Amino acid sequence: MSYLSGKFRPTERGLILFAAVVLLPVFFLPVFPIWHMHLRAPQYPEGLNLHIYTNTIRGDVDKINTLNHYVGMHAITATDFKEFSYMPQLLTLFGVLALLAGLTGRRWLALVGWLAFTGFAVYMFRDYVLWLYRYGHDLNPRAAIKLQVFTPPVIGFAKMANFKVWSYPGLGTWLLGIAWALGPIALLAERYGRRRAAAGAAVTGAAKA
Amino acid sequence: MKRGSKLGFAVVLVATLGALAAGCVASQGGGAAGSAAQKVYVKPGEKDAYYAFLSGGHHGNIYVYGMPSCRHITTIPVFTPEPAVGYGNDEESKAMLGGFTWGDAHHPGLSETDGDYDGRWLFINDMPNARIARIDLKDFKTKQIFGPIPNISAAHACPFPTPNTEYVFAASRFSVPVPNRDVKVEDYAKDFRGIVAGVKVDPKTGTMSLGFEIMMPPFDWDLSDAGKGPSLGWQFFTCYNSEMAYDSLEIKASQNEMDYFAAVDWRAAQKAVDEGKATMINGAPVLDPAKVTGIAYLIPVPKSPHGVDVDPSGQYVCCSGKLQAEVSVYSFAKIKAAIDAAKFEGEKMGVPTLKFEDCLEAKVPVGLGPLHTQFDNKGNGYTSLFLDSQIAKWKVGPPWNVEDKIDVYYSIGHLMASEGDTRHPTGDYVVALDKLSKDRYLNVGPTHPEAAQLIDLRGPKMELLYDFPTYLEPHYAQMIKAEKLHPITVYPLAENDKPGVIKRAEDARVERKGNRVDVYGLVVRTHFTPDVIKVNEGDEVYFHWTNLEQDDDIAHGFGILWSSKNMQIEPGETKTIHWTADKTGIRPFYCSNFCSALHQEMQGYLEVRPRGTPQAAVQRPDAKTIAEINALLAAR
Repeated sequence: MSYLSGKFRPTERGLILFAAVVLLPVFFLPVFPIWHMHLRAPQYPEGLNLHIYTNTIRGDVDKINTLNHYVGMHAITATDFKEFSYMPQLLTLFGVLALLAGLTGRRWLALVGWLAFTGFAVYMFRDYVLWLYRYGHDLNPRAAIKLQVFTPPVIGFAKMANFKVWSYPGLGTWLLGIAWALGPIALLAERYGRRRAAAGAAVTGAAKA
Repeated sequence: MKRGSKLGFAVVLVATLGALAAGCVASQGGGAAGSAAQKVYVKPGEKDAYYAFLSGGHHGNIYVYGMPSCRHITTIPVFTPEPAVGYGNDEESKAMLGGFTWGDAHHPGLSETDGDYDGRWLFINDMPNARIARIDLKDFKTKQIFGPIPNISAAHACPFPTPNTEYVFAASRFSVPVPNRDVKVEDYAKDFRGIVAGVKVDPKTGTMSLGFEIMMPPFDWDLSDAGKGPSLGWQFFTCYNSEMAYDSLEIKASQNEMDYFAAVDWRAAQKAVDEGKATMINGAPVLDPAKVTGIAYLIPVPKSPHGVDVDPSGQYVCCSGKLQAEVSVYSFAKIKAAIDAAKFEGEKMGVPTLKFEDCLEAKVPVGLGPLHTQFDNKGNGYTSLFLDSQIAKWKVGPPWNVEDKIDVYYSIGHLMASEGDTRHPTGDYVVALDKLSKDRYLNVGPTHPEAAQLIDLRGPKMELLYDFPTYLEPHYAQMIKAEKLHPITVYPLAENDKPGVIKRAEDARVERKGNRVDVYGLVVRTHFTPDVIKVNEGDEVYFHWTNLEQDDDIAHGFGILWSSKNMQIEPGETKTIHWTADKTGIRPFYCSNFCSALHQEMQGYLEVRPRGTPQAAVQRPDAKTIAEINALLAAR
């Protein structure tokens, strides 16, 4: 208990502040996509792109929807995703938590923030997989082309009808990953620092003896 | 043993080097054919370095080619209806054609900034109806047809834009009375007049409007070019028939040793009009050089000239007397000095004439039947020789000698070098635009195609690269580096504010006012909304279709059975077409431009009921249809 109520040293506080620095600007202004989908077909040699941000979807949404209607997929629309109305705010909140934890150095605050952030990330990934599952499974039975239900690739490559599809995380996700990883790194840094201090003390003690 | 292996190695080495050398020669095209083939070969998937715009002559349109592959890429309808895209059939283009269904398109002219092509617009004349069209190179569509220009009779010397596209011009080839009225042809010299018109081009929009007209002697005004550099502000026009014959021109108009070219100071002419010195004739401000001096001068040219071409530096004006064997080169500095010193030989109907010897710089013995000259970036001129069926390459400047000649097939009219009429020709290619093809291609009967040859200018000698047929009848052309053009591929739907546009299925409807019916509809893969339309016999139906697509190359067509009504609607575009419900019964309509996997299903029915059948004032698709279309359009 006393460990949790204690404070981090400046090194760890610096790392946590860095996480805040990464989180805050990215998600105040959602400019970095968190996920990409790239589709190619013989008649689309230049490819079609979907760029998913924390608050919207950009890219060739209309073109993809027009193609998808043949197989009865729901149209992809930004307004369908309630996630877009809370994702930027939540990420900002995690940034503020990291900022506070970094400034105060309170271990418990950092831990709570990191655990909540981890939970959020797991939840959002599951949510994303569910969305993909729904798009590929809830097909309009009146569609002109009847497809077997499918799940578009979450990450990696898949071939679907005449399209090749690549799916991969965007810069936003990489930055989120860095921010998340700074949690364990801070703990490791602290443990390493403590061990060195202990060793230093032992050496000093031995010298005194 | 050792020596043997060394010898063997040497033999192998020599053989390998020999093979390599042979390979080298082969790959560089040791034979002329191989080399030429490589120079015009554009690999599948790759693109040409130049756009070439060839006038369609009495086909009334423009052919677009890629160079150096000489592939015909598209045809831009300009003065003539085009059934596939519905040009001249939809209401907007029909209004632009102004009731004409034919034009004779001669001289394409690209817009310029500082004397070089800027890739904004392409102008072209319709000679017989004295019209000028502007094509926007953002979408390769005809945007304005200006004219018939009042008082102009056969706009042949047209449009030949000025170096900053301030003006395009038109001049009468067949003089008529001005104003045209009840006169005797025998009173030609007394009553007939030529007209030179300066047509202003709005620098932002490209919109043309009449700036000024100048009353000229009734000669046959033929070709034109704009001054540049030191001759900026002047426009030159050749003429034949200074004899003023009105019949048997073949003989009577070929008698004088000298005809003329006119130098027109367009700034002075515009100033005179702005100062109110013009007389209004048929709505045009016409200047009479007998009363307003300092706007036009005549310079003698031997033997019925055709081309008048200003060299890239703007110092020289090169005229080709088609019945002699020389290009007469004039120095603009000498012309200007003679004008400033008022050294005139006489006048023709108020236009002062200068002395031939005062203005001439050189005579270049190019060959028989010189017609038209273009330029490269190394100080050479290239003149087409109609009678010799050749192109002559000559030095612009002392010693003014002919350096090379090449045969073309056959009877070349104009020629066109890459950016060859600008201040900075690229010097890569020249295209011979021949009047006869005769035996050059597979025989297709008595209506022969025209012929064209692509010729390489990059070596010390001209080299024939490719020979290709064209449909009737390119007169002149323009070639611009492909990198200067950036056309759009779809019309942005968000910017579409055309009358009749709708963007949501809820707005799709059929509105009736008396017997006028307006259909506001959507086309998108693969529906018409609405696709069942109820009208009565005798209704005047206006279909306003908006293509909601924003994907490249997904155009839809709208064609009505047993009618001449068809048009193509490009992605993001709204077009209106009018059809009279002429007969009771069912009339299918369909998408006439293959669009997608379910193109065959893209159809609809017009239900034509007898006159007077009660019909709703507004018909809308049912809620289920709207919901279905909206599900598809949700993202828009």
